[in-house]
Amino acid sequence: MAMMAYDERRILEMLREDEISRRRAFESIVNNFSEQLYWQIRHMVLSHEDANDILQNTFIKAWTNIDSFMGYSRISTWLYRIAVNETLTFLNRQRTTVPLETDEEGELSVADRLESDPYFDGDLTERQLQEAIATLPDKQRLVFNMKYFNEMKYEEISEALGTSVGALKASFHIAVKKIEEYFNNID
Amino acid sequence: MEKEKKYKLEEHQPHRPFSVPEGYFDNLTQNIMAALPEQEQLYSTHIKVTPWMRIRPYLYAAAAFTGIFFCIKAALMISSSNDNVQMAQAEETTIYTDEYIDSFLETAMIDDYTLYYSLVETAN
Repeated sequence: MAMMAYDERRILEMLREDEISRRRAFESIVNNFSEQLYWQIRHMVLSHEDANDILQNTFIKAWTNIDSFMGYSRISTWLYRIAVNETLTFLNRQRTTVPLETDEEGELSVADRLESDPYFDGDLTERQLQEAIATLPDKQRLVFNMKYFNEMKYEEISEALGTSVGALKASFHIAVKKIEEYFNNID
Repeated sequence: MEKEKKYKLEEHQPHRPFSVPEGYFDNLTQNIMAALPEQEQLYSTHIKVTPWMRIRPYLYAAAAFTGIFFCIKAALMISSSNDNVQMAQAEETTIYTDEYIDSFLETAMIDDYTLYYSLVETAN
């Protein structure tokens, strides 16, 4: 069966219909958002396997809670919120269960992970950039990745994170300053 | 100052240093859809209809009607028992023998009109 084109209004209608229609509508949602959500998650957790697991969980949660979503917000906002929550929960769990053999800033941990990751193909500067980003608090890191790598507009990030545009701009500005400082200190 | 000139983020093009297994995005939608639980399973965990759930509304309705019936019945019983008390009291006050009334009238020195008048006034 051919994939239906993404039409949010039609999808919302279909989600209220029978099981087959709901599944088709959801397939269209997955097709439209899975890649951008994957990259959002991947930049936060770094490993492909972890990102893939979190992405699967995000869509399973969305599917099983589809009734509670109806008409709540835009589909993208709803999915981003679930993905962000799943990612932050994963990172918190990882911090409490995996002992970090690192210095205070977690540099070695990130470096180790990226070096052993077959799906990281950046050069030294790009690895250092990832290390610098890893020193940021989670929320700041989210904002930075959404803006810098995923090239989202502040308005879109604002909807997804429920934070004002002004606060996001300030957060991004601080993140950039910290990253530049990090690079200037390692030279 | 020289150090600050060394690295400016805006001077670098954002580049994603990550890759994915070959064909990952081509099959991503299919893989995600395959991992979703069936709707039947969703219903079976969330809205499993048991025989008890089916008869429950009828039982509740029957219980409600029974309750209403007993309430009405109790209200009627209370009201009829009140009537009995009033009737009993009324009987106690109205049972007078004719002899008693005659002797009363004789000793009271009262004519028929005055008697009638006093009875009407008392009644009002």
